[in-house]
Formats: sequence, C-alpha cells, structure tokens
Amino acid sequence: MTDTALIERAPAEDKPRRVKTAAGAADRVFRYGAHGSGVLVLAIMTLVGLFLAIRGAEAINAAGGRFLTEQDWEPNSGRFGIAAVLFGTIAIALIAIVVALPLALGTATYISEYAPAGIKSFLVGVVDLMAAIPSVVYGLWGFFWLEGNLLPVARWIATNFAWIPIFKVSRFDPQDPLATPTVFTASATLAGLVVAMMVAPIACSVMREVFAQAPVGEREGALALGASKWGMIRSVVYPFGRGGIIGGTMLGLGRALGETIAVYLVISPIFVINWEILSTGTNSISSLIALRYGEASSFELSALMAAGLALFAVTMVVNFAAGIIIQRSRSGESS
Amino acid sequence: MTPPTRRSRGAAHVLRRLAAALGAAVLALVALGAPAAGPAGAVGAVHAPIIGSGSTWSANAIQQWIKNVWSNYQWKISYSESGSTQGRNDFANGTADFGVSEIPYAIVNSNEGDTRPNRQFAYMPIVAGGTAFMYNLVVGGKRVTNLRLSGQVIAKIFTGVITTWDDAAIKADNPALALPSIPIVPVVRSDGSGATAQVSIWLRQEHTAIWDAYCGKVGRPMVNGHCGVTSNYPVVPGSGFVSRSGSNGVSGYVAQSHAVGAITFVEYSYALNAGFPVAKVLNRAGYYSEPTASNVAVALLQAHINQDTSSPDYLTQDLSDVYNNADARAYPLSSYSYIILPMRLEASFTEDKGLTLADFGAYFLCEGQQQAETLGYSPLPVNLVLAGQAQVDRIPGGDPVIKGIAQCNNPTLDPSDPNGNALAKKAPMPSDCDRQGVVQCVAGTGGAKDLPLEQTANNSDPAGASGSSGNAGLGAVGDGAGTAGGGGSAGAGGDAAAGSLGAQDQSATGDSEVVSAGQDAASLAMAAASPQSIPAPTSSAATQLAMLGVGAGVRAAALTPPILSKRGGRRRGRLSALAGAGPAGPAPGKRLS
Repeated sequence: MTDTALIERAPAEDKPRRVKTAAGAADRVFRYGAHGSGVLVLAIMTLVGLFLAIRGAEAINAAGGRFLTEQDWEPNSGRFGIAAVLFGTIAIALIAIVVALPLALGTATYISEYAPAGIKSFLVGVVDLMAAIPSVVYGLWGFFWLEGNLLPVARWIATNFAWIPIFKVSRFDPQDPLATPTVFTASATLAGLVVAMMVAPIACSVMREVFAQAPVGEREGALALGASKWGMIRSVVYPFGRGGIIGGTMLGLGRALGETIAVYLVISPIFVINWEILSTGTNSISSLIALRYGEASSFELSALMAAGLALFAVTMVVNFAAGIIIQRSRSGESS
Repeated sequence: MTPPTRRSRGAAHVLRRLAAALGAAVLALVALGAPAAGPAGAVGAVHAPIIGSGSTWSANAIQQWIKNVWSNYQWKISYSESGSTQGRNDFANGTADFGVSEIPYAIVNSNEGDTRPNRQFAYMPIVAGGTAFMYNLVVGGKRVTNLRLSGQVIAKIFTGVITTWDDAAIKADNPALALPSIPIVPVVRSDGSGATAQVSIWLRQEHTAIWDAYCGKVGRPMVNGHCGVTSNYPVVPGSGFVSRSGSNGVSGYVAQSHAVGAITFVEYSYALNAGFPVAKVLNRAGYYSEPTASNVAVALLQAHINQDTSSPDYLTQDLSDVYNNADARAYPLSSYSYIILPMRLEASFTEDKGLTLADFGAYFLCEGQQQAETLGYSPLPVNLVLAGQAQVDRIPGGDPVIKGIAQCNNPTLDPSDPNGNALAKKAPMPSDCDRQGVVQCVAGTGGAKDLPLEQTANNSDPAGASGSSGNAGLGAVGDGAGTAGGGGSAGAGGDAAAGSLGAQDQSATGDSEVVSAGQDAASLAMAAASPQSIPAPTSSAATQLAMLGVGAGVRAAALTPPILSKRGGRRRGRLSALAGAGPAGPAPGKRLS
C-alpha cells in the first residue's frame, strides 16, 4: 500500500518536505550549551598547543633543525635536542603497551565472558581500584621493590637472549662471575613495567565495556552453529570489540607517553639513544620536564616547553589515530 | 585548631615575646650600644606558616629543627627537599619564603646561568657538614667499612677514569683490602644539586686536569679556561654512571643490597641514616680523615667568609684553603650550607611570615646547633652564629629573641677563647693507621661504625694479631700523632696484645696502628687476601619449595574461577564433558543431576 502510494506521489513532488521543528527555549539552551562546550574543549586544546609553541619558540629558534636530531640536553651550552628523550619516551611506552596489552585483553575477556556473576563485580572493582592508585605509588613500588626483583630476570634475558639486539647489554658479560647486577638497574624495561601496571587497568576497562556490548544474537548464533565458547569469543566478541581493543590500547599508550612521576622515580636519566632496553639509563620527555622545570632558567624553561610541545604533538597524533580507528570499527559506530 | 583559641594563644605569645624582646633590646643597648635597631617595619602579629625549598644536603638538619619548633611552639614550617638549584629558583620566583642552597646565586665559573633574583635577600649559614663518599662494597661476603681514598682517586672515579675496584690506585690507598674486580658504579645527582656544585668546585680547583678532561668527554664547554662549576653532574652515556634525584635518591640507590660496587657523594648524615660506611679521604697532611663533626670543624677553620656587609655575597664561603688545610684531622670536602632569607616584604612574604622565619632562624642558630653533631652535621662556629643572628634580626616583620651565645650550649664555644672553635680544638688527632702508606685501621666509618660483625675486621684480625706480636718492640707511635683516636675502634683481638706495648700507648687500643709498612704489610695483605666467596644465593630447598607452592597457589587462584563457572554455565553438558578430561575433574554426580 505504502509502496504504491509513494510511487504515485513521486513524480508530483520533487523536493523532500522540509522538516520544521519549533525548538523550545530548553532545546536551544541545550544545543548551544553542548555546542559551546565542544568548541571550548577544542579551543583549550589549541590554546595549550599555542602556548607551548610560543613559549618554546625561543629555544626552537636557537636550536633550529638540530632540535629534532640532537640527543644531548645542555641548553646552557646551546646543545640540546629531543632525539634521545623522545626515543626514551616512545621506548618506555612501547614496552608498557607490549606488557599491558595481553594483560588487559586477558583480564577483560575473563571478566566479561568467563567470570561467574558472583565475583564479576568484585573483579571490576579491583581493576578500577588499580586504575585509581596514584602513579607515585607505582613509582615507589617500582623503585623499592620491583627494581631489585627484576634484576635476576633481566640477567637471565641478557644471558640467554643477547642475540636479539635490544636484549643485549654490552656492559654485561655472562661469563664473569663477579659481574655486577647494577648494569640492569633503572632501565627502560623497569620503567616500562611500572607504566604497564598503570596502563593495563585503563585499557582493560575500555575493552571490558566493549566486549559486554557484543550482540547477544550473534553470540547465540555462533554457539548454535557449534562454536565452542572460545570459538564464539574469537569469531564474535573480538571482531566486534576490535575498536575497543585498539582504542583502549591507544588510550593506554597516550597515558604511557605522558606518565611522569613514576618514570621520574625509577629511571636514571641519560641523554643518548639507548637501544639496550635492559641496561641502565633511559629518559622521557615528561620526566625530564619534572626533573628540570623547577630549576630552569628562562631559556632552559623555553627548551622544556619545546620538548613539551613535541610530547603534546605525539600524544595528539596517537589519540587522533585511536579515535579514527574506533570510529571505523563496528562497536565504535554506535558510540 | 579552632581559630579563637589559637588567636588568643598567639596574642598571649606575642605579649610574652614583646616583653622578652624589650628585655633583650635593653640588654643589647647596654651591651653593644645597639647597632641596627632591628627591622624598621611593623612586627608580625601571628606566626604564619612559611614554606621553604632547596637543598637536600642539609635537609636532615632542617627537617629535625622544623619538627622541634612545631612540637615546642607550633610554628608551621614546611620544607620541600628539591635540591639547591630549585631552592634558589623557588626563592627567586617567590614561590618559597626562604631557600636553602649550598652555593650562592651567580657563583663564579659556573656553567649555568644563575642570576641573582630581583627580590632583596641575604645569605645566612645554617650548619656545616662534610660531603661524604658513601659506598657499598662487599669482599668475601663481608661489607667493607674502612675504605680509604685519595682525592685524585675520587676525581678519577667520578670522571670515569678508574672503573674497577681492583685498580692499582685504589689498592695503593687500601693495602689491607683484597679488592674485587667488580666495576665501580658512580652514582651522581640527576637534579640540580648543591652537593654536585661543591664537588665540582673541588674538582675544578684540586684536580683541574682530570676535571678538564672530563669536560671534553661530556662535551661541556670550558669556562675561563677550565671545566666549569656545575650543579648538574654531566654523565657520559653508557659509562655505567647512575643518576638519581635528591640525596635520598642517591643514598637509597647505594644502600640497595644489589648495588655492590656503587659509590656516591652525599652529606655524611645520609650515610649515618642508611647505616653505610663512607670513604676516608686523604688530606693535605697525608692522613685519611672521615667527615665527622670535629674533622669538619677543623677543616673549616681555613674557610674564608665574605665579611663585606655591603656585598650581595656577604657571609658566603670561599673553600679554596679548606681543600688544602694542612691539619692532619681536616676533612677536605667540608662546607657550610646557607639559607636565603628575604629582606623585603614582597612576593607574598608578609610580616607574619617574617615573625615565623626570624624565630625559626634564631632557634636553629642557637639551640639547633647542639643537635648538629648527632644528626651528622657540624655546628656553626661562634663567629658565624653571631653574624647569622644579625641577619635574622634584619628579617622584616621578625621579632626574634636572640639569645646570647653563652646560652646556646654551642659545642664550638670556648669560654676562654671566644674567637676560637672548641670543637676543632678538642678534635682527636687521627690514628697512625690513618696515615698514608700505613696499613689502614680496621674500624668502620660513617653509619657502619657499630657493625663489627660485618666489618672486614674479621679478615684482618689474624693479621692484626701477628702484626702486634711481631712488632711489640716497635712501640713508638709514628709521628707522635697517633694518640689512638677513633673511639676505641681497633680490632677486637688487639687489646691484650696492645697492653704489652706498655704505658706509651696510654689508651691501649691501637695495636694495629703501630704496624708500619713493609714486611708487616705483606703479611697483612696475604691474610686479608682470603679467598673471595661470592655471596651465595640465599635460596634453600625450603624457599624453593615455598616458591613452588606460591606459584601453584597463584595458578590455582587464576584457574579455579573459570573452571567453576564453566560447571555452573548454561552449556553444562558439553563443557562438563570437556572438563571431565581436564585436571579439575568435575563431580560426576553433579553432571547427572
């Protein structure tokens, strides 16, 4: 009936009817309010970037192109650049993500799919609690407990997997019985592990939310077709939640890149690109800023602002990439 | 905590203080003819909380004084241990009411641009102390506590020239130690630090060539022809140096059980607190000395204090002759720590804050100095206390009760000689075993004095015994300097043997001190060269079993919930069939039901 009616009316009316809504005062206030806060967020972001750029301009002008390639950080001598600190930042973040991703994925899968209803809420609470612990606590834990206990592990890896370049520690000789374990302290791996403990709960929360949204109909369909539970999770939950997995990881990566105080506490800052992630010495932009801002002269402060600008840019790129990936995925469409 | 009571208490307090101040002023008028009649402006009404920032070197003393004034007078002072550089910056920016720094603003020959602030300020010494070299060294499963180092060796260690503990230069300083061939891990400050600045000033003056060469290695430019004074210790990447922020950071790193081979520079008090030894440093007189309160006091007799009241650097120190102090007791790396006081009401500094700060200053210059020695510092001498009291009197808003020096019980006060330093006068002369070229004392140093079992004393005991038996006739204590100091610190087995030395050695403690170099050194070295056992891993069968048990427990905790949930799940039949093959083994009865 409707079909015929439409076909009959189609040639007569070419233009679609314009929908007019009489927006009430409340509607308008809401619309402008929502619009305004959206614009405000963007404006603040832009202003932060602009502020960093203006304050950092003096240092960037002084350093020129070498700002991106110089590893040393001696603003007083005019020799400074972010190559080493940026490398350290990304190395720590990547180590953190490599550890945190399987941890978060496993935890989220267990909580959303396997955990009995009785302990589910308890586990959710525990994970959220982990996310709520201040990072300085993780830093102290890393400094006073994890560092000493990581040494034998690092030593074992360096002894057996030294043929993988990043696991080699050139100042460590496995044949030497007097070799000191101090070459493994304050490494990028230690910082990465501490950061992983902070990143994992956040990534896990995001993933768990998304897994829980996987359509029941498809789950039951998979099971009806004879899939095992694990098969169902692989063929329905994970593909549906891919956006959540990637988004949670990226969110964690964003936090890992910016993590300051925990990294500051455990690392031994150096200003050189250190590929040996098990050996002493690494650095990150945020911990560099935390270390030096209080004691910086105005030019050093400008250099720190410039480093902050670089971190800001990297974090923005990561977050935008995460946003795009989430949007293009199925679970992200609805959100 | 209720405001009314607090205010009334404050008011009563002020009245009392006014009376006291009046009395003091009258006394001062009578005694001195009243030079400057205190601050021109009004006096603060209540003790407002104040914030300080800066040095971690002197933080142990400051925090103790803050605790004392809080418990006695409820003056609220918070001090953030952020390093001298940040302390100077925080004061300059006005975020701190007072700063604490080892070095003044705009120190000469500096790498850093550190200009004097726009705020009006004055320096005042707060306490003296020694920058100690705290180390963690284990030989044959025992902690070494009697290491000795010459300045040159220290300079080479902290510039990466000497890299292993069995280096010939270190062995030359320590004939009694069988040093292992493990790498030296120099631990330096990563933040801007006054301790670093003091060490670099010393390196620049005393070991210029080594320090200049290091500048070349780290790519620092020369300042006035030589490697500059710096608050940020430069590190060669990949050289095995470890950088940590704060005195607690570096001393905490060295004190870790796995950090064997680490050495750092930090104030003596941190070594005391950590229970770790410090290296005795060779002085100009050829003796190795420890940064005890009296040795620091002796060394600082040669410090040149800026006496020009019109100079912005009034009261700051010039330590060039301290490093070269020819007294046998002097510790070369001794220095004063300074507070930076605001002298004008600006940058949120008010009269009320001035009241607190002036009273706090008056407290620590007087009563506070008594505690310096037990805290691991050295008290200020009388002349600096008096100069400091004059500075405290200038703080705007302040109304301090300045006590006469006689009431302060300052250990440096010698009533018979007001310009002298009693602590330095009474300082014990070093033992002969602290002399260069003589086999070293077995007594522990720093925070490891009271750990006889952990000392290498055990290593040297047989040697000490043989030495004394073989040398009873040597009796004469070399140089006449060895009046057996060190607080009765000789080896345990030595006392009886030393008794045979007779009345010459009146305190009868130092048998090993009379051992001179030569053939005895050879026997000592041989005895000390006991086979080195690497500390055995502490795990026994029991701990391994326990670890296995814990591992199994964790695994069970991780696996039980999913298995249980499967059994309760909706796909019971299929899963229970699966689980039947698994280790958990569901109860068959339940499946049927």
